[in-house]
Amino acid sequence: MSLTIAVPKGTLLEESRRRLANAGLSLPHDVGRKLILDDPGGGARFLLLRPSDVPTYVEFGAADCGIVGADVLWETERSVSELADLNFGYCRLVVAGPRSAGFHQGRPLPTFCRVASKFVRSAEGYFAERDLPVQIIPLHGSVEISPVVGLADLIVDLVATGRTLAEHDLVIVDEIAPSTARFVVNPVRFRAKYEEVTALLERLQCDA
Amino acid sequence: MRLPAGTRDWLPEELAAKRALEASLREVFTRFGYREAATPGFERFDVIEAGLGEALGEESFRFTDRRGTTMALRPEMTTPIARLVSTRLRGAPMPLRLCYVAPVYRYEEPQEGRMREFTQAGVELIGNGSVEADVEIMLSALEALDAAGLPDARIDVNHVAIVDAVLREVGLEPREVRIVKGLLGRRNLVALRAFCAAHGAPGVQVIPELALMRGGEEVLERLLQYVPHPRVDGGIARLRAILARAASLSMEHRIAIDFALLRDFEYYTGLVFEAYVPELGFSLLGGGRYDGLLENFGFETPAVGWTVGVERLLIALERRGGIPEAPDGSVQFLVACDDRTARALRERGARVLRALDDCGEQALLAEARLRGIPHVVVAGLCIGVADGTRRPIEEVLGAPAGDGRS
Repeated sequence: MSLTIAVPKGTLLEESRRRLANAGLSLPHDVGRKLILDDPGGGARFLLLRPSDVPTYVEFGAADCGIVGADVLWETERSVSELADLNFGYCRLVVAGPRSAGFHQGRPLPTFCRVASKFVRSAEGYFAERDLPVQIIPLHGSVEISPVVGLADLIVDLVATGRTLAEHDLVIVDEIAPSTARFVVNPVRFRAKYEEVTALLERLQCDA
Repeated sequence: MRLPAGTRDWLPEELAAKRALEASLREVFTRFGYREAATPGFERFDVIEAGLGEALGEESFRFTDRRGTTMALRPEMTTPIARLVSTRLRGAPMPLRLCYVAPVYRYEEPQEGRMREFTQAGVELIGNGSVEADVEIMLSALEALDAAGLPDARIDVNHVAIVDAVLREVGLEPREVRIVKGLLGRRNLVALRAFCAAHGAPGVQVIPELALMRGGEEVLERLLQYVPHPRVDGGIARLRAILARAASLSMEHRIAIDFALLRDFEYYTGLVFEAYVPELGFSLLGGGRYDGLLENFGFETPAVGWTVGVERLLIALERRGGIPEAPDGSVQFLVACDDRTARALRERGARVLRALDDCGEQALLAEARLRGIPHVVVAGLCIGVADGTRRPIEEVLGAPAGDGRS
């Protein structure tokens, strides 16, 4: 029984390909617009997906397992089993604000401040834990310009190098959590394809 | 008009398939000597909460009656059956074998295989705590899956006391045990490893191992290498017995031990199990031993049982193109305005439509073709719609009963 593996397009794709290659599975290059790809060795079928769709495909069993950032798992809250931290794709989910606002220097956050984010659930959770009522503004991209143009007071976003923040004169106010790539599996497929899944788990982990 | 989220209608053909599946499950229940019982669609909420605990009680649909008493639509059947046995049947000869096929209600996010109203079919064996009762329950689950048309469905088993004993043995506090069991049940190895690294006590390294151990007899041996302690012996003996008895019926390949299988329901105290087919991402059937549940209703007695999601079975069967075959319900005769003939045919067990309009032969034949009815009866003649053959109706009525077509 071969595995169907959900692989995220975007920043995690190249390292995912390398890890899979080390595990003996070849995710073909340069495939045009094909989104379903087969390992020439017959060991796996790959689904190339938007990162935020990976947990959905795995939860419903359309894919047996997948690679996805922890940030996506927090945001989608799908019931998938997180089998391993693959320790790549490191970034941090942070609260950031304009340098001029001085929140990073300990100035308290105002009640009902406007928070722009792609990570609505994580942002809501963070402020709810602090009993701070805020207005979350859901965005789909270019979140860092929102304080510059007056749409939001704060943003909650992923930061890898911090360069984008600096370019918009934003500074980190608080770190919510660090995120890395995770290997996830459908809970029933873990049982149904136990040998295949645990073999892949072991081979994905031995490379660090 | 719109349906409430997570509910559905059943068209006649769909319902016929569901009823046929329910009939085959009921037949298995009957063959094992289980008798069907029914309970109200709603219960007092305190009953539901006493059985399920707070977290799952939260998933129930609740409302108040005019006196302000909180009620809940039943979210499962084991708690109502436990209440029923504790109140009405505690004097009955034990063990009791009860079964049910009934709709239940849960406030969940709807998705495939997870509806807010769905049908559970299941069995409860009450008043016997022996391993023999565990075995009977496991075997009846396998038989039910066979009867449903899923003979390749497999069952994973665990014993919750083993996991509890291991976690206590490595020195976890009760609060930590709850956290770890939550992570183990979701098989979140990343969080389990983080927990163990932070905890630091020697021996906690077995916890992530538990989440990955799965298989037959050999995983019990592996566990004993980590935790050689008499507190796990009872659970291990039970799992061994189940594996051995399955093997004696050549069904060992359908059962595996999985220490991360911890069912959501708080009431389980011993054996727990779930059945699945490889192509679906959710389990079909689940159950286990709940020796403390009836005590919540004032009747201290052991019990074990399982329940299957009827709609989930239908999804599994549909994926394979194996929808349960329903008894033929199609109409056989279209009779012109003639109550006596219609009645005579019905008395012989035929399925008969009587024309509501006083129309002639041609109109009746057109109607019969439209509805796929093979015979038209008009003016004492039975006409074959396909071939136009004509026979006196007495000939049809005189033929052996049940032979409506000839």
